[in-house]
Formats: sequence, C-alpha cells, structure tokens
Amino acid sequence: MTAIRKTLDFLYLIAGVAAALCLIAILLLIVAQMIARWTGEIFPGAPDYAGYAMAAASFLAFANALNKGAHIRVSILLNSVPSGMKRVLEIWCFALGAAITWYFTYNATWFVYWSWKFNEVSQGQDATLMWIPQSVMVVGGGLVAVALTDNLVHVIRHGNHRITRDTVEDTHEV
Amino acid sequence: AETWDMPMAYSASNFHSENGVAFAECVGAGTNGEITIEVHPGGSLFAGADIKRAIQTGQVQIGERLLSGHQNESAVFGFDSIPFLAPSFDDSEKLFKAARPKIEALLDEQNLELLYAVPWPPQGLYFKKEVNSVADMAGVKFRSYNNTTSRLAELTGMLPVTVEAAEISQAFATGVAESMVSSGATGYDRKVWESLTHFYEVDAWLPRNYVMVNQDVWADVSDANKSAIRACADAAAARGLEASKAYTQFTMDGLAAGGMTVQPAGDALMGELREIGATMTAEWLEAAGDEGAALVDEFKAMQ
Amino acid sequence: MTELYVIALFLIVLFLLLGTGVWVGLSLMGVAWVGMMLADANRIGDSMVQEIWRSSSSWTLTALPMFIWMGEILYRTRLSEDMFKGLSPWLARLPGGLVHTNIVACTVFAAVSGSSAATLTTVGKMSIPELRARQYPENMVIGTLAGAATLGLMIPPSLALIVYGVTVNESITKLFFAGVFPGLILAGMFMAYVAIVSFASKDWNPRVETGMSLAEKLRNSRFLAPVFALISVVIGSMYLGYATATEAAAIGVIGALTLALFQGSLTPSSFRESLMGAMRTSAMIALILAGAAFLKLSMGFTGLPRALADGIAAMELSRFQLLMALLVFYIVLGMFLDGISSVVLTMAVVEPMVREAGIDLIWFGIFVVVVVEMAQITPPIGFNLFVLQGMTNHEMGYITKAALPMFLIMVLMVFVLIWFPDIATWLPENLRQTPG
Ligand code: NA
Ligand code: NA
Repeated sequence: MTAIRKTLDFLYLIAGVAAALCLIAILLLIVAQMIARWTGEIFPGAPDYAGYAMAAASFLAFANALNKGAHIRVSILLNSVPSGMKRVLEIWCFALGAAITWYFTYNATWFVYWSWKFNEVSQGQDATLMWIPQSVMVVGGGLVAVALTDNLVHVIRHGNHRITRDTVEDTHEV
Repeated sequence: AETWDMPMAYSASNFHSENGVAFAECVGAGTNGEITIEVHPGGSLFAGADIKRAIQTGQVQIGERLLSGHQNESAVFGFDSIPFLAPSFDDSEKLFKAARPKIEALLDEQNLELLYAVPWPPQGLYFKKEVNSVADMAGVKFRSYNNTTSRLAELTGMLPVTVEAAEISQAFATGVAESMVSSGATGYDRKVWESLTHFYEVDAWLPRNYVMVNQDVWADVSDANKSAIRACADAAAARGLEASKAYTQFTMDGLAAGGMTVQPAGDALMGELREIGATMTAEWLEAAGDEGAALVDEFKAMQ
Repeated sequence: MTELYVIALFLIVLFLLLGTGVWVGLSLMGVAWVGMMLADANRIGDSMVQEIWRSSSSWTLTALPMFIWMGEILYRTRLSEDMFKGLSPWLARLPGGLVHTNIVACTVFAAVSGSSAATLTTVGKMSIPELRARQYPENMVIGTLAGAATLGLMIPPSLALIVYGVTVNESITKLFFAGVFPGLILAGMFMAYVAIVSFASKDWNPRVETGMSLAEKLRNSRFLAPVFALISVVIGSMYLGYATATEAAAIGVIGALTLALFQGSLTPSSFRESLMGAMRTSAMIALILAGAAFLKLSMGFTGLPRALADGIAAMELSRFQLLMALLVFYIVLGMFLDGISSVVLTMAVVEPMVREAGIDLIWFGIFVVVVVEMAQITPPIGFNLFVLQGMTNHEMGYITKAALPMFLIMVLMVFVLIWFPDIATWLPENLRQTPG
C-alpha cells in the first residue's frame, strides 16, 4: 500500500517538476527566437515548439496543481453542509471529475493514435510528427484522472481528500 | 432531412465565406431541403488549421480549408503555392485543372471528397520602400510563415522573421517586419498602408481554398442529391473565381486610396523573381516526386 | 421553443456542477459535453480533444505563464515593498490612499500585457499583501483589483482588440489607439469611486504613514526606479520593434530575474518557489481555458449565441436601442462565456447589424471591449473572479460582491462612450502613422 502511495506521490511531483522545466523551455525558445531575429538568423519552428512546451507545461502540471489545491472550485455549499453531507458531496465531485478526465484521456489516446496512424505532421515550419507533442495530453490527462481517482478512494475510505493548500496568503481568512 | 455543419476559417464578410453561404443556399434548394448546410464563418466552430481533420474524422460533414497549409503532409498539396509557376488567374485555372485528379486522389486516401476550390487574389510583395531589383531587398525584414516564404526570403537576400497572423499589423507598425508576400486582400483587410508604402503586383501565386465533404457522409447521399450538390459546387467555383478577380481590383484600388504606391514590378525585378521561381519549382519537384513532375508537365503542355 | 429547452437544460447543468463544487475547468467541460449531446454533434470526444489541444498548444498563450512567472519573481523581491515605499508618500494623501496603487499599477501593467489574467496575477501578487498589511478594507482591495485588471484588455496591447480587429477586418493599430483614452478614463472612474467610498465608509481606517516633506517624498521616489526601469524595458522592446507583444513577456521575466539578482533576493530556493508557483497558477488558468475552449465549440454547434443575435437583428431597432440590446445581450452571454469567445461566436451576425446602423466599427470595438471586460467579473463564469479566488481563498460570492461596483462603473462607461464617442475615435483619426 505504501509503495503505491509513494509511487503516486513521486509521479505527481516529478510531473510538476517537468512542467516547471517546460516553462523554462518556453522562456529559452522565445529568447532564442528574438536573438535569432536580431542577428539576422532564423530559428524555424520556434513558435511551434514554444506552443508544444506550453501544452506540456499545462498538462503535466494539472495533477500536481490539483493536489496543492491550485485548481479552483465553488465551495460555498461544501463549507456550509454538515460533515456527513460534505463527504457525499466530495464523493460526487471527485467521481465526476474522475469521469470527465478519464473520458478525456480515453479520447486523447485515440486522438493521438490517429495522429500517429495518419502520420499527421505539424502545419508549421517545424514539421513535427504531431503524436509526439500530443502524447503529453495522454500522460497529463491520465495523471490528473489518476489523481482524482486517488482522492476519490481516499474520501471513500478515510472521509477526507488529500488536497492541501499552501498559498502564501493563507494567514488571512475571512 | 439532415443538417451539415460547415466551418469556414475567414470572416463572414470575406468573399470566400459569402460564396460558401450562397453555395449552402443552393444546396438547400437543390436537394429540396433534404440537406441543409449551416455555415460557421470566421473560425466560429473550428480554427482554420483544424478544419481538415474535423471533416476527415467526421466531427463535421463539410468544410473549407487552404490546402497549401498542409504541404508538410504531402508536397503535392502545395502545388498552388509555388512562386511564379502560374502567375495569373488564367494560368492558375489551368494549373488547377492539371492538378485536380491528383489532389482528388490524395484527398480520397484521406476520406475526403473535393467539391470546389476558389483562388485567392494573386500574391504580391509589400515593402516600406521602392524596390526595383532583388539587390534592393537585401537585409529587409521579411515576414515568413512557412517554408516557402522562408526560402523566398533566403533566395532574395531578405531576413525572414516569423510573425504569426494575429500580430501582422502590430509587427509592421513597430518595425518587427518590413515586408511580406501576400494578396492585396490581406493588405487591404489589415490596412497595412498605415505602415507600408509599396505594393508590387508580382502575382507570385494564387493559393486556393478547398471545400470538402467527408466521404462516409458523401456515400450516404442519394444520386439525385449528389448531382444537385455537384451543380451547386460548379456554380460556386465559377462565382468564386469572378468574385476573386473583382476583389483583386477592388483591393488594389483600396491600397492605392490608402496612400500606397501600387504597381506591377519592373521588368528587371520580374526577371530576377522568375529565376528564383524556377529554382523554387525545381526544389518543389524534388519534394513532390513523380506526381509533382507529371502535374507540372501537364500544366506546361496546356500553355 | 427548442432553444428555451436547450437554454434551461444548459443552465441547470451548469449551476449543478459549479454549485456542488466541481472544479471550474472540469465543470465547463461537463457543460460543454451536455451541449454537444443536445446539438447532436458527431464524435464529441474527438472534437473535445482537438479543440483542447488547439487552445492549449497556442503560441500566443505562452505570454500568460511568462507574465505570471514574472509576477512570482517580483513578489519574492523587495520590489513590491519598494514600489509601495515610493508611491505611498504621493498616494497616501489622496482620498482613498494606497488603494489607488491597485488601479495605477493595473493601468501601467495593462500597457505591458494584453491579457486581464496576467495583469491581475502580477499586480495582485504584489499589492494584496502590502495593502492588507496597511489594513485597507478587504472588499475594496479585492474589488478594485478585479475591476482595474480588466484594463489589460482595453489599454494596448490587447488580446481582445486583436481578436475583434481580425474578425471584423478593422485596423488593429487604430483599435489600439482607440483604446488609450477610454482605458485612462475608466481608470479615472475607478479612482473616483475609491475616493468617494473612502469618505463615506466607516471601516476605512488604514494605518497611516507619517507625513513627509517634499524633499523626503522625492528621495523616497528613488524606490520607484527599478519598477519603472522594468516596465520601460518591456514596453520599449515592443514599441521599438525588438519584440512582439508575446515576446515582451519573456523580456519581462528576464528583467525581473535581473532585478532580483541585483537586489540579492534571487536564491536557488526563491527561484524554485517562483517557478513552481507559476507552474501551478498557469495550470489552474490553463484548465479553465481548456474547458472554455470546449464550451465555445459546443456553443457553436448548438447555434445558441447566433440564434439570440439573430433574434436581436429581427427586432429592427434604432441605433440607441440596438446598442442597449447588444449591451444586455453581451452581459448575459458574458455571464456564461468568456468575453472573447462571445465576440467570436456572434460577430458574424452582429457585424452586419452594426454596420447597417451606421455605427463606426472602431468605436464599436471599444464598446465591445468594455463589455468583454464586464464578462471577466460577472458570475457564474468570470475569469478574474476565478483568478482572485485562487489567489486569496475568498469565496466566489464575496469576490463577486466586491467587484459589483466595478461592474456598474463599466456599465456607466458604456453610456459615457455613447454620449462622447470622440473619446474613442479622436486619437485614431488624428494620429496618422508616419510610414518608415
Ligand atoms: Na493591455
Ligand atoms: Na462572466
């Protein structure tokens, strides 16, 4: 059990770190493109690569952001109902969230499969095979689906989820 | 009765979109309301780059796309965007006639049925200064958006700068770019006379928008309705061609009224550009293989 | 009749999902999926993935995480503290005091960034802790931030004006010029409101800084130098042609890192924290954007926004009536869609109506932007509300209430635009771009 726990937590962390590295990649790509232009060189496909890094930064970060409470939700009802009811509501939210993300991941898998099967190439100057950057949708979507399911199981078994917020403004509560 | 969703990439007032709406009305009438087409212009359903795949996979039944956008997939799709191969409306029609069977075969493999294609006004060169020869272009920052335009910049000694379509106006206003190759229509729509001064009608190429149907959908259409739709498509092709010609003149006048110098390129410049065109045709032929060679031979035989 | 049924079902599902606490981005996907089912669309899953991929892998979107990252870096430097040290001697004496820094900083940052979310996160990250420390009323801090951040869409560069300009084929340069005065006037109206409330409100008892002589004030202003340097570099890079609007965001990050380095606040741990913070905040926004992209597609398939716009077209209204009808129409649409999507979905029908009524399309662009700005702060789907919730932990209801006066000021702004159209049209008509 703890082995699974540790593996999952490690995956959420490592995906978050990868997403952060993608932000650095975006910065470097944009800077490289500007420098290329100032010096009369060309960097074909730079905007396309930056776009892929953007998608990777988002998809890989979803699960990590979920566990850190970064994704927002309307919690008026959740905070005003008694704890038994709250548990039911949380189960509903995590179950529905998991259903939506698993649905997305399932379709994304087929989508990428067809990109690979059709040999779909980027329409930009990069001429990248599209299944390569698109695969992060499957990885990131799958991971956030796992994270939602993980939390769902936790709510059912222990009555609470595993999301912990650590925003700097936490000191202030209304 | 069934309804087809038809995504189109350009804004509702663009002549391609207006032509598409007229085509849709024709289909509604011709099939006695058995097939109605709902046009979604301006990328209000799918963005331009997504439309082909959306039709292919059956997300929508029909749609319009600039096929040269897909030349990374197959060089043959870029036949209508080879610089200076068919530099006039008449030549462009001949070239399309030569290419049509090959394009249809290629689209067939992709689960697509071609209905009609309409050319954009010819591509000309925009500058911030007078240009009389390729030498005058040296070092000018040239907006490139694909391999063809980058190569064109390289061969003319210009500096290719990548500027996305959404940032064209701003890029010219701030000097990020100083030149581009595009139709008079783009320059007119984006009101480039606010930053640029010269437009040379070099008629580099006339890229086309293609209206295509998903083949699974097409197979379920009755023969009577198929011929009604084909008739509407032929009418749309003819109407679109005339609209494109009329719009070319309209936008040239508009650019001039905006204060730009609008003129054909001088003989010296045009000669140099044709040489560059020959180089680029040869390069395209290398990429497009036998299919491409057959297509160009057939086109040359028609002249 | 079927439209009413579709609308009703849509609203029920939306309120059910959002209300029970399903994450906003996932709620939007759920609602969009229901819409696709109602529209009887084919291959819904495929469309969902294609649309989400297109919107998440967009190059222009990269400016957003860059500006967020820049905000995270600045927040960890002494810069925000310094900015307040420099500004407070000047602004503290104004009625409303330092709350004005929210509006001034948003206005200035609006000239750097084209988006409202980037303006909000960058300024909010710096100003919220500082204003709280000085005990300004929380609802004013939150409200002014929600409202003023929307100026990012009006003051050039502006994503909303680019989308509008491309859709209706009007000059983006002209639209940018047209946005300058209305943006400044709107900022002025926000500031006037702050001043009035500061007189009227009983809980307006901020910690006051001691008075300073003019010499001291000027000396303190040296603290503003780094901020001005950073902003000048970012704006300068755009207007001197070194960078496009998207690339300017990367220059902002480099500038912020350089400042942090000089101030000695750039440590491996502060760098890591800023990066991880930016990663999560931009993921939060990206998930909502993904949901919104699918919802836009779904709305396109249902044809609902166009049907409603068609309904307005059929009413044959006078010029003023038409503008009023469109105001109400876009406010209602803006409650459920982000403003830019509602423009894209309806312009095909609205543009001919507006042209026919003889309304200047540049002026109308500014009208549309004010309405798009409103959509950012109207519930249930209001982007700035979401971002502020993520930043402050306040409930949606609280933030919405705090932002309501700003919404009303924007409605007033629409009438100001109608009564004095010159504030939008004068600058673009009189500033002839000199070529070369
Ligand atoms: Na702005
Ligand atoms: Na809203």
